[in-house]
Amino acid sequence: MPVEHAIRATGLTKRYGDFTAVDGIDFTVNRGESFGLLGPNGAGKSTTMRMIAAVASRSAGTMSVAGLDPEQNGPEVRARLGVIPQQDNLDEELSVRENIIMYGRYFGLPRRWLNAKTEELLEFAQLTHKATARVEDLSGGMKRRLTIARALVNEPEILLLDEPTTGLDPQARHILWDRLFRLRESGTTLVLTTHHMDEAEQLCERLIVVDQGRIMAEGSPAGLIRDHSTREVLELRFGLDRNQEQAQQLTTLLSSAPAPSNGRASSSGSASGVGFSHVEVLPDRLLVYAGSAESALEQIHAAGLRPMTSLVRRSSLEDVFLRLTGRTLVD
Amino acid sequence: MSTEHLTRDPELQDPDSPAADKVTMAGRARRFGALHQAERTLRSMRAYGTVILFSSVSQPIMYILAMGLGLGVLVGEGGDFAEYGASSYLMYIAPAILASTVAMAAGIEFTFPVMEGFKWRRLYYGAQASPLSPGQIASGHILAVSVRFGVHAAIFTGVLYLFGAISSPLGVLMIASAMLGGLAIGLPIMAYVSTLRDEKGQMSLIQRFVIMPLFLFSGTFYPLTNLPGFLQVLGWFSPIWHANELGRVLAFGHPTPAWLILVHVLYLLGITILAWLATVRVFTRRLGLEEWRGRTPGAKADARRQERLAVKDASDVARSVPGETSSAATPVRSELPRISFRRGFGANYYSGNIRAVFGRGLTAIRNNRGVIFLSGLLEPVLFLTSFGLGISPMIAGVDAEQVGLSGGGTISYAAFIAPALLAVSAMNGAIFDSTWNVFFKLKITKLYRTMMSTSLGPVDVAVGEICLALFRGGLYALGFLGVLLVGGLVDPLAAVLMWCTALFVALGFASIGMAVTSFMTRFQQMDWMMMVLMPMFLFSATLFPISVYPAGVQAFIQALPLWHAVELMRDIAFWDFSGLTLVHISYYLVMIVAGLALTTYRMKKLFLR
Ligand SMILES: Nc1ncnc2c1ncn2[C@@H]1O[C@H](COP(=O)(O)OP(=O)(O)O)[C@@H](O)[C@H]1O
Ligand SMILES: [Mg+2]
Repeated sequence: MPVEHAIRATGLTKRYGDFTAVDGIDFTVNRGESFGLLGPNGAGKSTTMRMIAAVASRSAGTMSVAGLDPEQNGPEVRARLGVIPQQDNLDEELSVRENIIMYGRYFGLPRRWLNAKTEELLEFAQLTHKATARVEDLSGGMKRRLTIARALVNEPEILLLDEPTTGLDPQARHILWDRLFRLRESGTTLVLTTHHMDEAEQLCERLIVVDQGRIMAEGSPAGLIRDHSTREVLELRFGLDRNQEQAQQLTTLLSSAPAPSNGRASSSGSASGVGFSHVEVLPDRLLVYAGSAESALEQIHAAGLRPMTSLVRRSSLEDVFLRLTGRTLVD
Repeated sequence: MSTEHLTRDPELQDPDSPAADKVTMAGRARRFGALHQAERTLRSMRAYGTVILFSSVSQPIMYILAMGLGLGVLVGEGGDFAEYGASSYLMYIAPAILASTVAMAAGIEFTFPVMEGFKWRRLYYGAQASPLSPGQIASGHILAVSVRFGVHAAIFTGVLYLFGAISSPLGVLMIASAMLGGLAIGLPIMAYVSTLRDEKGQMSLIQRFVIMPLFLFSGTFYPLTNLPGFLQVLGWFSPIWHANELGRVLAFGHPTPAWLILVHVLYLLGITILAWLATVRVFTRRLGLEEWRGRTPGAKADARRQERLAVKDASDVARSVPGETSSAATPVRSELPRISFRRGFGANYYSGNIRAVFGRGLTAIRNNRGVIFLSGLLEPVLFLTSFGLGISPMIAGVDAEQVGLSGGGTISYAAFIAPALLAVSAMNGAIFDSTWNVFFKLKITKLYRTMMSTSLGPVDVAVGEICLALFRGGLYALGFLGVLLVGGLVDPLAAVLMWCTALFVALGFASIGMAVTSFMTRFQQMDWMMMVLMPMFLFSATLFPISVYPAGVQAFIQALPLWHAVELMRDIAFWDFSGLTLVHISYYLVMIVAGLALTTYRMKKLFLR
C-alpha cells in the first residue's frame, strides 16, 4: 500500500528524566522531498533523527516511517532507511571496501550482489582509489563520503543525514553537497539536520526551524526569509561600547524615514524607500533590517553617523532564526 | 548518560576554583607536578576504591583458604617445607602470593589506564595543557599506582599476620618488596604501552605472553627447582620470582646466601629505575612533540597527514570530474535483493541474520594479527606445564575416592587437573570475549550502534557475538585437547566429548558475561568481574578436591558454575557418569537461557533508549 508521505510525526516527544529534549513536534516529510531540521546545538535534532531511525524510543506522540511504526518494526523500518549519524561510525578493523560490504551483509544482502554494488558506491563516493585503504588513513571528508556510501548500500527510500558537513573544510563540503544533489535528483527522500543556514538553503526544499525541542517555523528557505525577515540586511560596527546607544538612534532615525506601507517586498524597487523593519544588537555589531539596505545606509550617512564598517547583504535563514528566537544560530 | 562519564575529569572541569587560585596552583603544579598528577590519578581511582580495598582483604583470605589449606592438604602439611625454613605449605606460599597479586595488579594498572590516558580519553593531553611536564605526568601515574600497591600490600600483609601465615616481624618489609616487584614488572610494560598508537590486542598479548608466563614460572606455589632446567631460567628473569624470594627471606628467613639477596634487590631496583627513565622519555617524546589543540587534541603528525590526505583527495576528485559527466556516478536503482527482516513475533528483536555479525568478526580476526588469536591457545598449556611439572613432585597422586570418582586407586596429579584446566580455559576465553571485547565494541568503538542502524536486531548482534566467542573457544579447546592427547592424559573418544562440553560451558559463560557487561560503564568495573572469577577458580576443585573443606563450604562451591564445568569434564575424562552429570548439564542449560534472555533485554534497552 503506497503511502504518500515518507515520515509523519505528531506530538513527538522525548524526555530524558526531567529534561525534555524534543517537546511535542509535528511534521510531515513527503516522498522524494528534501527536508531539513535547522537549529542550534542541543535543539533536539539528533534525538529526533534517532527516533525516526528506530534507535530511540518516544516518550509520547506517534510516528510513521514509510507507513510503519519504528518502535514496533525497528528492523523493517531500518531496512528502508540510510542513516548517516552525526559522528562517523566506521569500522576501523575493516578496509574501506569491506566497510561497505559488511554493512550490506548486515542487511542480509548477498555477497555477489554486494560486490558489484560496492564498486558503484565507491565510485559515487569518489573513493575507488582508496578501496583497500584502512579507515584511519582517510581524511575527514573521505570518511564522511564513505559513511554516506555505506548508508546507500541498501538503496534506501529515505536518507537521514545528521549534520552531514559539520567539521569539514569548505572544499570537502562542496564535494559532498554535489553528491547529495545527485541523490536528490535520483528521487531519494533526504532528511537532514544542520546548524549551517547556507547548507539548509542549498539542500532543503522545505525545513523546520527547531529550538529547545520546539518548532519555531516551517516553510521553504525563501518563504521563511520572506515571512520572517526583510529582503536585505545592513551590518554596522560602531565599536563595542557604542553599539547599544547607536541602536536607539538608528531606530529613531530610520523609523521616521519615508516608508511605503509594506516594509518588506514592495519597497525593493524604490531608491527612496528604506523599508525599515527593526535593528538587532549583537555583541559585536548591529543588524539593520530593511527592504533596501543601500537606502538605509545613505540615510545613516546623511544623518552624519559614521560606522567603522558597513556591509550590505541579503537576508538569510540566520536572520530568520535570530528574529524567531532572539539568538544566533552558531554561537 | 554513558558519554557523560567518559568525558568527565573532575580536575579539568572544576568550575568552582577561582582564577586567582589557579595561578598559585599553576606554580605549585610546576614544582610538585608529579605529586599533583598522582593526586589526580588517585582521585579518579577513588571511584573504584572499594574494589581495591575489598580485594586487598579478600584476596589473601581466599588464597590462604584455597592454596594454603586446600592444596596444602594434598601437598602434605609441614615436613617438606622445613628445609626452606617454613613450618607449613601455607607459610611457604604466603609471601609469594602477596608478590604475585601485586604483579597481577601491575599488569592492569600499567596497561589500560595508560592507553586510556593517551588514546581513549586523552586525559594526558588535558593534563599537558596545565603546567605539568610530560615526565611529571608519567611519574604521577607511577606514584599513584605505587600508593595503590602500598595500600594493597599493607592490608594483605596484615591479614597474613592475623592468620599466622607470617612468623617474623621483618615480614612488614614485604610491603616494600612486593611494591618493588610490582614496579619492576609493570614499568617496562608501561614504557611499551605508552609507545602504542592503537590497541590492536596488544593488551591481551602482554597478559598472555608476558605476565602469565612470568607468574606461572616464578616459584609462587612450589620451589623453582621443581621445574626442569630451561623453565628455571625463565624464572630467574621473572621479577616476580625475585620479589617472591625476597618476601620469603623477610617472612620466615628462607635460607638464602647474602649475595643472592643482593641480586634480588639490585635486579628489582635496576629494572624499576631503568624502566621509569624509559617511560619518562617516551612520555616526553610523545607529549612534547604533540600540542594541545583545543577540543580535538591530536598529534601534529596526524594533522599533517590529514592535511596531505585532504589535498590529495581534492585533487583526485577534481581529476575525476571531467570524464565523469556522462556516467554521472549516481547509484542506480537496481533489482534490490530481499533485505532480511521479519514480521510477527519478535520482529523488533530478531531479523534472522546472525550470519552477518559472525562474518564481520571473522573478517576482523583475519585483518588483525593472527598471533593474538593464537595466544589464547597458550594459556591452558602454560597452566598445565606449570602445575603439572611444578607441583607433581610434591604430590604422590590423587586418591580417586577422595575426588568423587568411583573407580578407586590413585590418579596422577597432571591427569587430575588436565580436564579441569580445559573447563577453566573455556570459562576464561568466553568471559574475555564477552566482557572486554564486548565492552570495547559497546563503548569505545561503538560497533554495535552501527550494527543497530541496519536491519539487524539486538538478538542477531548478541547471538552473533556469542557464536564468535564460541568459535574462538572451540579452536583453543581443540589445541589444548591436542596437547592432552599427545601427553596421553585423555583418550580420543573422551576428547571429542570434552570438546563439545568446552563449547557448552563457554556458551554458558559467554551469555552471562555479555549480560553483565551490558551494565558496565567503565573499564574499572571489570575488576569486580575478576573478583568473582578469582575465587571461582580457586574454589572449583580444579587444583585440589573440595573434600578438604567442611560441608558448608563445599555446598557453596557446588553452587558456583565453574565447579559444575570441572566436574562434568572430569566425569567425561575418567568415563565416570552418574546422576550428578545430568545436574551439571541442567545447570548450564539454565545459565544459557537466563543469560541470553537478560542479554537480549539489556541490548534492547541500550540501543532503543
Ligand atoms: N542520552 C541522553 N541523555 C540525556 N540527555 C540527552 C541524551 N541525548 C541527548 N540529550 C540532551 O538532549 C538535548 C538535545 O540533544 P540533541 O538531540 O543531540 O541536539 P542536537 O542534535 O540538536 O544538537 C541536549 O541538551 C542533550 O544534552
Ligand atoms: Mg546533533
